[in-house]
Amino acid sequence: MTAQSRIEAQMNLMLRIHVVWRGLVALLAAISIGVIWQRMVETPVWQKILFSFVCVLVMIFSGYGAYQISKRNHAGRMVSLTLDYLGFVVCFVFALNVGEFFIGIDALGENFGKGIPYLGITVLGYFLGMLEEYFPTKNKGAENSLKTVSKWVMLGGFVLFLWQVNALNGIIYFLGKLAQPSGSIAIGGLVIFGLSLWSMRQPNTAQALNVKTGHEQIINGWLFLSPNLLGFLIFFAGPLLLSFYFSFTDSDAIRTPNWVGFENYAKILNIKFVTLDSPDQLARDVVDIKVYDEVGRFTFGNTGILFAAADKFFWLALRNTLTFVLFAVPLSVIPALVLSNILNSKLPGMKFYRAVYFMPSIAAVVGISLVWQWLYNATIGYINYFITLGIEFWNNLFNVAVVDPKIQWVSDEKTALLAIIIIAAWQTMGFNTVLFLAGLQNIPGELYEAATVDGAGAWNKFWGITLPMLAPTTFYVVSTTTIQAMQVFEQVFILMNPAEGPNNSTITLVLYLYRSGFQNFQQGYASAIAWVLFIVIFGLTLIQFQRQRRSSIYES
Amino acid sequence: MKKNLLVKIMGLLVIASFILAACAPAATEAPAETEAPAVTEAPAATEAPATEASSADVDLRWRTRPDNQEEIDVYSQISTELDAQLDGITLTYEPGGSEGANYQDQLRAEIAAGTAPDVFWIPGTDVADFATRGLILNAADLADATEGYTAANFYEGPMFHLTYNPETAASGDGSGAVWGLPRDVSTFALYLNLDLIAEAGAADPRELAANGEWDWEAFLEVSQATRALGSDIYGYGASAWWGPYGVWLNASGGGFFTEDRAACALNSEESLAGLDFQRSLYQDYDVAVPYGEDPEPGFRAGKVAMFQNGRWATPGVRTVDFNWDVVELPAGPNGTPGNWLFWGAYVINANTEHPKEAWALVQALTTAETQGKISALGANIPSRVSQEALDAFLTFTPPANNQAFLNGIAPDADPTAEGPLWAGSWPEFDKIMGPAIQGVLTGSTTVEDFGTTICDEANKAFNQ
Repeated sequence: MTAQSRIEAQMNLMLRIHVVWRGLVALLAAISIGVIWQRMVETPVWQKILFSFVCVLVMIFSGYGAYQISKRNHAGRMVSLTLDYLGFVVCFVFALNVGEFFIGIDALGENFGKGIPYLGITVLGYFLGMLEEYFPTKNKGAENSLKTVSKWVMLGGFVLFLWQVNALNGIIYFLGKLAQPSGSIAIGGLVIFGLSLWSMRQPNTAQALNVKTGHEQIINGWLFLSPNLLGFLIFFAGPLLLSFYFSFTDSDAIRTPNWVGFENYAKILNIKFVTLDSPDQLARDVVDIKVYDEVGRFTFGNTGILFAAADKFFWLALRNTLTFVLFAVPLSVIPALVLSNILNSKLPGMKFYRAVYFMPSIAAVVGISLVWQWLYNATIGYINYFITLGIEFWNNLFNVAVVDPKIQWVSDEKTALLAIIIIAAWQTMGFNTVLFLAGLQNIPGELYEAATVDGAGAWNKFWGITLPMLAPTTFYVVSTTTIQAMQVFEQVFILMNPAEGPNNSTITLVLYLYRSGFQNFQQGYASAIAWVLFIVIFGLTLIQFQRQRRSSIYES
Repeated sequence: MKKNLLVKIMGLLVIASFILAACAPAATEAPAETEAPAVTEAPAATEAPATEASSADVDLRWRTRPDNQEEIDVYSQISTELDAQLDGITLTYEPGGSEGANYQDQLRAEIAAGTAPDVFWIPGTDVADFATRGLILNAADLADATEGYTAANFYEGPMFHLTYNPETAASGDGSGAVWGLPRDVSTFALYLNLDLIAEAGAADPRELAANGEWDWEAFLEVSQATRALGSDIYGYGASAWWGPYGVWLNASGGGFFTEDRAACALNSEESLAGLDFQRSLYQDYDVAVPYGEDPEPGFRAGKVAMFQNGRWATPGVRTVDFNWDVVELPAGPNGTPGNWLFWGAYVINANTEHPKEAWALVQALTTAETQGKISALGANIPSRVSQEALDAFLTFTPPANNQAFLNGIAPDADPTAEGPLWAGSWPEFDKIMGPAIQGVLTGSTTVEDFGTTICDEANKAFNQ
């Protein structure tokens, strides 16, 4: 037997093992489906469906992979690598979970922080070793000594670091946990999936499966993409779909949810408009008060229309949110546009002002809200203090008697939402200014020069050049600010006490879904609110997209 | 090449250390020695936990909602002491809540995730919700097996709810339900700025209370006299939540619920009368800090004469630089101040793996000795009915007139125990009631309109 034929025989054996492995995985997946439905009695149905779906996918693809490998087709390698990679990641996460890594964040903060200074010693040792590259010496003995010292400093620093981060205890604890049956399964899975991955990545295997350079590039591309893709699927797309499912249940996040169909959505959208006999007719006289609450009434003359809803808080929240968007978006976009034009000049000190205006955007919302809470205080707040000073000055100057309004910024339902709008606009304006500045700096200077030659004034240049050229930026700014405004929560939650404000004047959609989901144990209902909010935001954004496309200014 | 390999190896080792550092148990340092309350002041333990400790060491996590670092230090020290005292139990104390993470919201999320501590504190209003959802353990069997345990050791109001059996509607010893033990109790008093009151020439509320003349009329007179000192001086201030406005309803013979706590009573004649008087303080007489504005900064700045708050506000008020004291709430038309008996309880996680040990911990946390140490901070009143505990509480001054708090929870004052809704949802009820009352007190809704519609809405919070 020649060396070549021996290698081929080995490769055939290896591929047969892979075929068996893929078949085994497919079989295990099939068995798992039976176990899920036969044994996991207390597992919620949605989890059973989800697990079964995953198992079916694994079964199909693993079987397909086995078939393709047996046919010496590169697709088998692609499928095999994908499944083994995912299996390896799952086993790794499972091993970490068994080792209680995910609930050890407190320990991580405490232990790792202690070790950081010693890590500095290791870095110092590394730089010692680098010295000879920057300061070459002819003395080989000194060079070797420096390298030796460098190694020992690095080693010593690292040992100290490991000691400080409690690594020994960590190893003992981790291994102790892994010694459990579940830990052994995780390690076993890691080894098997790892070996399979390693074997499939070997050039000989690739060659045997007729892999071309293009195939390899595709695999490498997906491999690089995988951390982000997996993160997106697990932490964004997964919860998104889960919340969609929950919106059709009565989930309280604790007990097994029951399927309720469209009940949650029906409650949200159950509204009624009723004509009133008189403007002050009671709601209970015209609607079933056990189902509906009055949201508001529109009166004209001796009659009126009552707006009632099964969940009045949702509609109040929607009204407040839309009002907030209506005012907060223009107030944070138009001043930003003006400001960016001013800051775009080459006057000295403009960089400083750019930084100043941007600062509110990077400051913590909690801190900002607490500061504004003090400023807004009707009795000892600075805003009212300066208003009082101003009025006194005015009265003394002109000998008039203007009454101090003593505005109750956060405790009067007429001004509470305005108070939130002011903070949001102030905070968002800086960020929008930077975006507009970036847009302004991309406008070719030749356009302005040509306009100047044509005799255009500043206003004509702004209207005829700046605004049209800024259209893409403006579209982006308006869209993102609108989406952000629709999700207003933190400022309201922290500034207002109670957060709903006087007569529910500051209850917003996100606040209401937070209250429902996390304070009233109504996760199912909160999920439904979240999806309605999503539809509203999606609708608004869609309108903005369509308007932008139709915009003749932009097209031109 | 070698260097690259070295850097790679070092990087991998650091990542491995990162993981191992998370797996290694945190080396929690013992809390710094806080100023211990005088031993003679603290009442002796009336009873030691009688549950037998198991032979194997078990780890228990427990949590409260402290208001400040001092409380965290004291609870940490208590945890260390109980750790040594309770055989076979290793304790980890977790202070809960922060500016960005509401205590209850965080707790609920952890319960849902299955990572909540074995023993935790919840406010009295949450007990029914947690119990009926099966989130907290019914420790009735453990309590029955505990020598010396009786509900009578604690204030009746909290224990009514903590031993309420929703299946039989029975309460008290032998009801078949023990949801936990009260950590402490508290009540409202009026924090007085004595300098402002003297400057206004108003009568001293403490003297009026001592003479039995401290009623709504006298309260209004003091408020008006101090309000007249300047446009930025207020006679009265209270925060915007159910506690402060509830007392006015209670004091006039009304209340939030009907007697059986199964329906809304906000529209009763008495409740509306109490609400109307409170409304007049804000709207007609204009003596109060506008409703919804935080009155505490104003009081601490010396611009509010009477600030209604609980015992928990005392540590903060102790830092003001004017003469201050406290007085009980004024008596209403009903003859009592209508005060609340606030309470919260240590309860056991229904999913704890060590219910016996958790029950032992709950008992140890509510001994007179432990409560005495916490009371020394001045933030609350011991929940045990014990003269020793109350005598010790009176020594924790200022305020000089600590008796005002005890008067508030005395049987004569007929306080209403803060309580959950076994026949409905308290959060739902509060969600409807709070904004509606705020509408009245800020003048956008009349009392009449409020009375006409409020119970139509609020009754939806009760089981239909």
